[in-house]
Amino acid sequence: MPPPPVAWSDADDARAAARGDRQAFQRLYRQHVDRVYGAVYRLAGYDHARAEDLTQDAFVRAWQKLADFRHESAFGTWLYRLAVNVALMDIRSRGAQPVGFVGEEDLPDPGEVPFCAAEREELERAIAKLPPRARAVLVLHDVEGWRHEEIASELDMAVGTSKAQLHRARGLLRRMLEPGEPS
Amino acid sequence: MNEFEWRRQLRELRAPVVPPHDLWARIDAALEPAEPARTSARPGWLLAASFAGLSLLAVGLSLRQGAVIAPQQGSTATAATQAPWKPDDPRLAGAAVELDAARLELRQALEQAPHSAGLQRLLSRTHQQQSRLRQLDQQAG
Repeated sequence: MPPPPVAWSDADDARAAARGDRQAFQRLYRQHVDRVYGAVYRLAGYDHARAEDLTQDAFVRAWQKLADFRHESAFGTWLYRLAVNVALMDIRSRGAQPVGFVGEEDLPDPGEVPFCAAEREELERAIAKLPPRARAVLVLHDVEGWRHEEIASELDMAVGTSKAQLHRARGLLRRMLEPGEPS
Repeated sequence: MNEFEWRRQLRELRAPVVPPHDLWARIDAALEPAEPARTSARPGWLLAASFAGLSLLAVGLSLRQGAVIAPQQGSTATAATQAPWKPDDPRLAGAAVELDAARLELRQALEQAPHSAGLQRLLSRTHQQQSRLRQLDQQAG
């Protein structure tokens, strides 16, 4: 009878990796890469090449910061937040305009635009076309489930600005998904 | 479609995504120069080398102030030998021990990363400091 498989916990692997154990780090990679990749892929506007670069960057940074990981949260949560931060830094470094206050007159009236049923791929294509910061707010709030306070903190903006950006992003998205609108 | 359904549709996008390629090889290669956890944890040899350098400086200054400097005897300093060396002057003993420990730790680190220019530079500097310590010991004696 083969020996039972050795059970590795994330916490054990994180401690081993912090001491330089690459096998442990590789196990952590295998365990968490899909969640990390999913988040950065959405934030990168569904661009696989960029998402791969960002995922690599996130894991390298995680390796570098493992000694600072205090195990106050689950390793997966810590890694996910770090990866999102890497993706947001990329958005900032690519010269996305700082988020300013969006005037009400610039926003589509939610009453004007109906909610449209959309296929998943259609929805993803529309999200990818949003301006980077508006996309980041929409993805973090409506997809990833973050609160405005968390988004505002990560994107270095006021809570009100985050809400305004979300309102704008939803409006743009709904317009793009209107019947007859080229996607 | 009402807003609730629309939001639910958005929330369903939140799912793990398998990358089209296995990224581990890229990540593993990128880890090479980083050597992160150890760097941030301040390796012992770096601390020892720093302390030894400071000790050497302090001892050198005190010997100069004590006017015990003998005429230069030429370059008698040779590359540090493998065996631990003990100075005759007890004031130099601490620095000698620290420098020897730094040398040994640097050699061990170089076995793991033999092409590291930074480690080789530090080892060379440690050898120079050991040579300088021998000079000081001769001058003091």
